[in-house]
Amino acid sequence: MSLAIQTNDLTKYYGSHVGCRQIDLSVSRGQIFGFLGPNGAGKSTFVKMLVGLIKPTSGSASLLGAGLGNIESRKKIGYLPENFSYHEWLTGRQLLDFHASLYKMDRGTRFRRIPLVMDLVGVSGAAGKKVRTYSKGMRQRLGLACALLPDPDLLFLDEPTSALDPLGRREVREILVGLRERGKTIFLNSHLLSEVEMICDRVAFIRDGSIIAQGDPGEMGADRMVVELQLENITGGLLDKIKSSARIISSGGNTVRVAVKNKEEIPALAEAVVSGGGRLYRMAHEKVSLEEIFISLLKEGD
Amino acid sequence: MFTIFRFTFREAFTRKVLLVSLIMAAVFLGLYWTGVYYAVKDIEKAHNQLLASVIYPQLLLFGLYFGSFIVSFLTILSTAGIISSEVESGVIQAVIPKPIRRSEIVLGKFLGQGVFLAAYAALLFASIYAIIYTKTGIRPAGSGEAALLFSLQPLVLMSVTFLLSTLTTTVASGTVAFMLYSVAMVGGFIEQIGGIINNLSLKNAGILSSLIMPVDSLYRKIVYVLIPPASNPISAVQQMGPFGSSAEPSVWMITYSILYVLAFLCLSLHYFARKDI
Repeated sequence: MSLAIQTNDLTKYYGSHVGCRQIDLSVSRGQIFGFLGPNGAGKSTFVKMLVGLIKPTSGSASLLGAGLGNIESRKKIGYLPENFSYHEWLTGRQLLDFHASLYKMDRGTRFRRIPLVMDLVGVSGAAGKKVRTYSKGMRQRLGLACALLPDPDLLFLDEPTSALDPLGRREVREILVGLRERGKTIFLNSHLLSEVEMICDRVAFIRDGSIIAQGDPGEMGADRMVVELQLENITGGLLDKIKSSARIISSGGNTVRVAVKNKEEIPALAEAVVSGGGRLYRMAHEKVSLEEIFISLLKEGD
Repeated sequence: MFTIFRFTFREAFTRKVLLVSLIMAAVFLGLYWTGVYYAVKDIEKAHNQLLASVIYPQLLLFGLYFGSFIVSFLTILSTAGIISSEVESGVIQAVIPKPIRRSEIVLGKFLGQGVFLAAYAALLFASIYAIIYTKTGIRPAGSGEAALLFSLQPLVLMSVTFLLSTLTTTVASGTVAFMLYSVAMVGGFIEQIGGIINNLSLKNAGILSSLIMPVDSLYRKIVYVLIPPASNPISAVQQMGPFGSSAEPSVWMITYSILYVLAFLCLSLHYFARKDI
């Protein structure tokens, strides 16, 4: 399958501060790719490099088979910035017309696409109103409409649902899934891990400017399990014993949550609890959510 | 580039600073018309042709000097945020990733803003000229050349402010541009005094300020174009005072001003192409 995004050692330094370091990433066409990481990890820096807002310090990248900055390939790329802000003195329709002219769309295409995308994101009713009168949620929808204008083959969305209510988030998810069904590629930066888990085919985790893990969210969860222990006599010594066979995610009251690599490690964990003097009342394992993987990966680096 | 040019030109009409400048221009032209009306009335009553030939050109120069101030005010306030305000608000983040080059954004904005300011300056020049012509009957030669130079003034100031807006924040670029404009104005006065009392140091200080910001030299050139010394035996008297021109700026100063605009445009292109947003 051909690649929509490929980066090789893509690096950005702001003076001595690292924005992104040697990012190697491949995103196949027709996927929804989730890019995850804590605040300041370098997610937006990475996306900004790809869409041409920031110049990489070193490394290379290609989008839809063309090098960064290629004007022709940009005609098929949409981008919704995290801090979406638009010319407030224009009406919603005028704004889209301006963006359509930046995409060098002919009159007929504009005439067809503008009402279509406005309808798709649910702002048709406010098409003639000034952007300054739009609520934050409506502005985000309008931003999404701008990104969808050229019927992009590759769509970059930086926190696309941050200003939306649950219904709006669901609508956006449905739009994204619909785009994937049409073979479009979506690169999604989001903090909303449950959302990412619902729709993403692949994810990557970034921390301190470097990618620390990537893969299929299901597969990433399959080789990790969370075990919840109901215990008494929790002492420092017991926790040290548990740490020798698993990684502690959280502990509070009589409950300790730990991560193990697979099911085979569970008996050893039970033995460690008993030999450490703990009274074990309950032991339950569950599949790891993306959130657990996220937290677990962040703790691994500490 | 044409999309950005058209958009910038259109956007200029939506800014509050334009409304303020239009009000200022209307108030100024109203006061100016009143002043000229009463001055001419008194001079005509006195039937003093010599006084008329000294005062009427002075009235024109007075109008052009303060007209140029209004144009400069609009230039700085409307250009200070032309790039920086869009960077600060994040508006530009949705524009740069589009299939256009960064140079097209700079050129489109530069030309859109430049045409708007030059048109505003030309209209103001025409209004001042019309007031003087209808009230005094004088019709200085070289008005076309003078109008072009008058329209070049905001472009000079705009080019510097544009670069500052590319490099720094809106407040900082506006402040620095005003300081540079003040240097030009003060330098122009110093050079004028130096010319009258024939002091080389003062003249050199004025020339240096003209090199830093050639707006005032363009004004002094306009004065010479409208009231050439060879055309009038009393031109030395007409050129006295703060609005006159004791020495004619050479044609090289016009060339320098044009190169100055182009150089700052090139610097804006250079820095914006490398700017991280």
